[in-house]
Amino acid sequence: MIAAVRSRAALRAGAVALFILIAEWSRAEISRQPGWTLAALGVGGAVLGVAAVGWPPESLGLGTSRFGLRILGGVALGAVLLLPAAARSGAAPLLPAGLALGAVVVSIGEELAFRGALYAALEELGGAPLAITGSTMLWTLAHVLSHPPEFLGAVAAAGLLLALWRWASKDLVGPILGHVIADLAL
Amino acid sequence: MLALAAIFYLVASWMVAPGFYDGFGPTQPYNWTCPPPQAGANLKPSSGHLVIKVIDGSSDPNSAFTDDGQLVIGFLPGAFMVDGKTSITVDVTPLDSCPQPPGVRFVTNVYDVKASAPLDPQKSANLVLIYSNLEPDPSDIYQAPAPDGPWTKLPRSQQGQPFTIVARTTTFGYFAAGYPATSAPPGAVTVGGGQLLPIIVAVLIVLVVLAGLPLAVMRRRRSSRGKDA
Repeated sequence: MIAAVRSRAALRAGAVALFILIAEWSRAEISRQPGWTLAALGVGGAVLGVAAVGWPPESLGLGTSRFGLRILGGVALGAVLLLPAAARSGAAPLLPAGLALGAVVVSIGEELAFRGALYAALEELGGAPLAITGSTMLWTLAHVLSHPPEFLGAVAAAGLLLALWRWASKDLVGPILGHVIADLAL
Repeated sequence: MLALAAIFYLVASWMVAPGFYDGFGPTQPYNWTCPPPQAGANLKPSSGHLVIKVIDGSSDPNSAFTDDGQLVIGFLPGAFMVDGKTSITVDVTPLDSCPQPPGVRFVTNVYDVKASAPLDPQKSANLVLIYSNLEPDPSDIYQAPAPDGPWTKLPRSQQGQPFTIVARTTTFGYFAAGYPATSAPPGAVTVGGGQLLPIIVAVLIVLVVLAGLPLAVMRRRRSSRGKDA
């Protein structure tokens, strides 16, 4: 019985991971085609969000309790993510307006997929340690095609930070808001 | 653990400029002639060379580009006034210096584009310059017959890929992307002369502690209540 439950949870986690990986890599490939960047961001973000369909909001870390604190946490996470860039330069460049909407959609989609559905599936399978390490590893792997190799350490560190927040606060609103703020700025 | 992860992130992202990056910027770091202070390790910008065939008195369509892809110039069929030539050479060379003429702020290297034949004024070339996300977005591509000017704006074409700027030209010379120095850089936010932003960020970091503590306390209270029950 336990084995059956575990194998079902493993199957679900594997399916979510594969779906997210294919969505992210396809988005990265399509966005390289001239004129397709914005569409790839918007559609790719929406497709990633599909990974969260069917999960109860509470298991995704979505809820309205302590909402002010969740928002405050999100702003603070965004500040931490942007600190190195802000410390390097007194002026923070903003993403071109045309890309801003796409960046918002993809940030929300990525959080729903990685720290939402994938985290929940892995937590169900092996608890918080597997959820944190597994979602961070897949997050890094998913960015291999869209990022130069020298950025992957920072990508992994950002994924770990967001996953730990998700675990410590049982909250996804903060990571979503922090990710959106950081993406809009850079 | 959360604080350790934040420190780990800050160290990891400090090692790569600009820091946080989610794939919306250029996929390769910009190769600067004069790197800005916030740039990390820098490679020298590349030059480019192209030989275009002339068949039946008309030059082939082709594109010249620098080896690092930071400048691409595309030519239509018959774009050159060939004047009996059997081939046309195009050379693109980044300038060794970084002129900043009055009234303009360049945010890319300056490139010298030369060809062995002039362009047909009816068949303009398409010039694409990549720019960095470490500087404000340029509003225009400028052209000059010599590095010391006079610099004039080229008519802009529709934007292609992110972090590229496109214009059309009917003559060769020196090219760079930038914005009028009298106007605020497009797309850049400077708070209080650029000094306030780090302070605001520092204050927000304090807020993360303020936000994190109550959340952790509530969580522990809840879990201890669960154990008691």
